[in-house]
Amino acid sequence: MVHPTSNPISDRMRSSPAGGASERAAAYLHPGQLFVSADSHAVTTILGSCVAVCLWDPVTRIGGINHFLLPTFSGQGIASPRFGNIAIKDLLDQLAELGSQKHNLLAKMFGGACVLEAFRQRQNHLGMQNIEVARELLESESIPLVGHDVGGQRGRKVVFHTDDGSAWVKVL
Amino acid sequence: MAARKILLVDDSETILQMEQMILAKEPYELLVARDGAEGVARALEDNPDLILMDVVMPRMGGFEALRQLRGNQRTSTVPVVMVTTKAEADSIETGYASGCNDYIVKPIDSIELIAKLRDLLGD
Repeated sequence: MVHPTSNPISDRMRSSPAGGASERAAAYLHPGQLFVSADSHAVTTILGSCVAVCLWDPVTRIGGINHFLLPTFSGQGIASPRFGNIAIKDLLDQLAELGSQKHNLLAKMFGGACVLEAFRQRQNHLGMQNIEVARELLESESIPLVGHDVGGQRGRKVVFHTDDGSAWVKVL
Repeated sequence: MAARKILLVDDSETILQMEQMILAKEPYELLVARDGAEGVARALEDNPDLILMDVVMPRMGGFEALRQLRGNQRTSTVPVVMVTTKAEADSIETGYASGCNDYIVKPIDSIELIAKLRDLLGD
């Protein structure tokens, strides 16, 4: 089942993720983790109010994805990739370590649902806060956001291909 | 205004104690059930504002309990957060299919849990 979004990301998303899957190693991303690779990987993660930012360098074919739960680390607790500002910075750092060039990077973003119907009119729900942090940070880093499937009211299963940036989304 | 009720459903005393410890300073009334069947019964009796539901439990697991809650008009819209483990990654889709609103992975992070609950309760 493909999410009938009004912001289509790519034609690749309207087909099953099985295309080319046998050529890519599979990985699963848990909340608070991030994954980067210079090899071809199909990375799966499931998002509710959480957001995943996917970055890839189409020249070097290096890519990565994070999955963060909370918008901004405020100084309380541990500065972990559970927080959007940490997760995006860490993702950029790790991609650079593998040899990606920041000026080549492209971005896609997923998740940030408001999973309760009663609160969908609120603009400050957790999912929306996560989306805004991601947008602001990508803009500040001058990384083009070339695709997104965010907001709404349902969870999402996302499969992201690190080598070419293609992504598949299933609404849950 | 009466305190919001959070129903904690888990067969592990350790997890229940951890959840109660994390939420001790929050303005919630905490209720406890130790398996899915008890969770459904307490939800119908006490009308909680949110349910934290473990997945693997004796007598009745979290997914079956969730399906029963969603099938009852009185509990069809109560927010339910599944409490899963990393080993249960495949089950998260089942959770959403059964009607959960969100999930959290053990070991439970206190900041994450409180943020999710506040968000789901509109605080």
